[in-house]
Amino acid sequence: MTGLLAVTAMALWLQAGPDALSDRAQQLAMQKRYDEAEALWKQALQAAPNHFPSLFNLGFMRYSMGQFAEAESWLKKAAQAKPDDFNSRYLLGTTCLKLDRREDALRAWKTALAVQPKNYKLMQIMSVEYSNGYYYKEACAVGRQAVELRGDAPEPWFVAIKACFEARDPETLNLTKQAAERFPNSARANFEYGFQLQKAGLRDESLPYLRKAMSQDPSYEEPFYFYGSLMLLDEQYEQAVEPLRTALKLRPDYVSACVALAKALMGLDRNQEAKEALDGCARMSPTHPQPHLFLSQVYFRLGEEEKATAEKLLSLRLRRENPTIMESPQARPFPGAPRR
Amino acid sequence: MLAVLPLPEKGQTAPGQTGQGMISGGATALPRPKPSGRPWPVTFTDVAAQAGLRMQYTYGHPQKKKYVIEANGAGVAFFDYNGDGLLDVFLVNGSKLEGFPAGAAPTNHLFQNKGKGQFADVTKSAKLDQSGWGNGVCAGDFDNDGHTDLYVTYFGKNLLQRNNGDGTFSDVTARSGTGGSGKEWSTGCTFVDYDRDGHLDLLVTRYLNFQIEKSPLPGAYPFCMWKGSPVYCGPRGLPFGSLALYHNKGDGTFEDVSVPSGISAVKGFYAFTAVATDFDGDGWPDLYIACDSTPSILFHNQKNGTFRDIGTETGLAYNDNGSEQAGMGLSVGDFDNDGRIDILKTNFTGDYPNLYRNLGKGLFGDVCLRAGLAVNPDHVLWGTGFADLDNDGWKDIVQVSGHVYPEVAQIDAREHYQRARLVYRNLGGGRFEDVSEMSGPGISAEHSSRGMALGDFDNDGAMDVLVMNMHEAPSLLRNELKSANHWVKLRLRGVQSNRDAIGAVVTVEAAGRVQADAVLSQSSFLSHNDLRLHFGLGAAAQVDRITVQWPSGKSEQFPGLKADALYLLVEGSGQAARQELPR
Repeated sequence: MTGLLAVTAMALWLQAGPDALSDRAQQLAMQKRYDEAEALWKQALQAAPNHFPSLFNLGFMRYSMGQFAEAESWLKKAAQAKPDDFNSRYLLGTTCLKLDRREDALRAWKTALAVQPKNYKLMQIMSVEYSNGYYYKEACAVGRQAVELRGDAPEPWFVAIKACFEARDPETLNLTKQAAERFPNSARANFEYGFQLQKAGLRDESLPYLRKAMSQDPSYEEPFYFYGSLMLLDEQYEQAVEPLRTALKLRPDYVSACVALAKALMGLDRNQEAKEALDGCARMSPTHPQPHLFLSQVYFRLGEEEKATAEKLLSLRLRRENPTIMESPQARPFPGAPRR
Repeated sequence: MLAVLPLPEKGQTAPGQTGQGMISGGATALPRPKPSGRPWPVTFTDVAAQAGLRMQYTYGHPQKKKYVIEANGAGVAFFDYNGDGLLDVFLVNGSKLEGFPAGAAPTNHLFQNKGKGQFADVTKSAKLDQSGWGNGVCAGDFDNDGHTDLYVTYFGKNLLQRNNGDGTFSDVTARSGTGGSGKEWSTGCTFVDYDRDGHLDLLVTRYLNFQIEKSPLPGAYPFCMWKGSPVYCGPRGLPFGSLALYHNKGDGTFEDVSVPSGISAVKGFYAFTAVATDFDGDGWPDLYIACDSTPSILFHNQKNGTFRDIGTETGLAYNDNGSEQAGMGLSVGDFDNDGRIDILKTNFTGDYPNLYRNLGKGLFGDVCLRAGLAVNPDHVLWGTGFADLDNDGWKDIVQVSGHVYPEVAQIDAREHYQRARLVYRNLGGGRFEDVSEMSGPGISAEHSSRGMALGDFDNDGAMDVLVMNMHEAPSLLRNELKSANHWVKLRLRGVQSNRDAIGAVVTVEAAGRVQADAVLSQSSFLSHNDLRLHFGLGAAAQVDRITVQWPSGKSEQFPGLKADALYLLVEGSGQAARQELPR
């Protein structure tokens, strides 16, 4: 009896217009009855080949199922069918990214941005992806655009700062200064400014901002790590220890902080403490080669040469087994055309 | 709409598209400290052509390298082959994949220093006109006959060239047993008396196991890509290299002791330049090898004929962050005047060099960032050397540069195959200042350089530089120093030690300042510096004391002496003998 009702209902839907068919298909898709949904959307497209909801939803359904190549073709058609639609262009870009075609993704998002020129969230996404694709100048430019639109929110500033720093944009320092002025109570803004001051060679000027960031948000590990690293660089080992310990306490798997702490302790000839820090770090990040590399140095200093050798070999093995942990950014795919 | 639109995942990479042939980081230049404002009296001028150093380097295809063998270039040597007190020049040459018609292949070159800044090509008469795919050179008097000999590494059989003392050399490779199988790609070499028997032994580094018929072509694998473009493959992805240690039996023959010495137990590296001296002050020479895209190696001399790699343990295998680097060249010397021998290692672009400060007890710390040397990471650095260019008593740094891919500017317009050289002035206190732009046309000229040697070819008390340039003539950079600072040069002669005193560490004390340096058979990039040690003395017109830690293990003190001269220090004599410095 139930089967008969369903068949009857389907027959009625088939006689309906494309909108109704698409609505029904959407309900079916939400019930994960994908084959039936697709049949209805295709039925709707037979009646109206440029029926946008059907094209888009077919694309979205394929995207959701991880069938990105199929999704792309439906989404392209959807974008053509409705030139002022944002979502199809946005999703087309995301689909291209899934297909490892970052440049096509960015092209699609550019058309989406033309539809919604004030979509600062998309600008932030584009900024990140431009950076990932080595288009640093573009990343910085679109990041700054987002700041112009939503300068009252901190996040666009931080995205722009990162992109412009990678682009080696001379305005980065100024950008971080403005962010610090705009958000004086933001630990992140003060940290970014302190960080950029140091990168600009203004080490002494950077320290107050880093200290401010540490006091504003004692749960934010980055300023503690960076401040400690600066002290380490200057061989002020005693001053390096506490901030690095704090960074590590806040993020126990922060390997860089752990290694920096160990180096500071080794600088103070407190090798046993360095060993303990690295041991803890190795427990937290068992596949990371670095704690073992520096454990090798600590054991050597402690005169335990066999353990030093064992840690060295373990570090080497982990490095080979997990090459991406220590891989250089240069190993990322690079755009085919030269960047000027 | 079905649902909320998804956010893209961050940092995606295409499977199978990651990796590259050469290790480098994403390092950007650190800020330059404020200029010291001190005058810099050093000007380098390239006088190679006017001095008569006329030859053209051949090293694979000049525009597009198909295999890694075409990319690395060769070493150079400043050495006095005829004992006339003037530094002569030896240049290792390469080849090309297609080969040459009989008799047309390029050869190595020996140029005799005739004085007054002029050189004569004596390659043929000296019988050094060998061809082949040459790489490195090291020098040392392996038979203790008073004439410095040469060892030249090849892709193919290496050559041990005995200096006959009459202006000619003899190929004694076969008799000596140091040629290798002829299948290896040897790069670095250094003479070293590792067992302190007074005879120079020999370490040879082999970059990688290269077989042209098995080597993939550009673009074939991720390690055949650079920034998304196909380039020659390697070194990563290609079979690792190896090491050979030959023990000098004292009768003109050598024995391969690679296995019993423990040298061959270390695996997994692409080895370039080798240096040999006593890094931990225990009186026995150690070996340090710059390795490309793999951890570098420090072989600690166990004093019983065996070595153990303790590069990682001592801080010399990686950079300060624990990252592998593309090690190429090595400078060895005491940059901070604490009497200990430090090491500077050059690396690939996108990375900083390492300045390994000797902390004592055989430990090292990479202080490159603090020293102000992390300001030019856009250079692929090769030859390098510590030399007191202005004689102020602090060793400065010279480095030569040049990318490996001739087409690199088409891949990334920020990179260049030919680059200017770099000069850093030592400010004291462990800090350096980039003075390249103030160092004259010889430094600002752009070349793709590889090997480099330091020496005072015109004996004017200012250190000059010899450079190998890919597909060009060499450069001879004369230091036209305008300074009243004093200096002293020391030539060591071993008696119980090997005659050239390779591996000796010398400490000079003058006006309360202590400086150290080592006598090396190879350093820089596959090159050989002047065996005479040069110390700038600043305003001090007198050296108060000299201490020599001889390779035999003995320590000997020499009394004070007047500056601005060359002295011969003979082991056990206790006296420094002033020598003529012909111009």
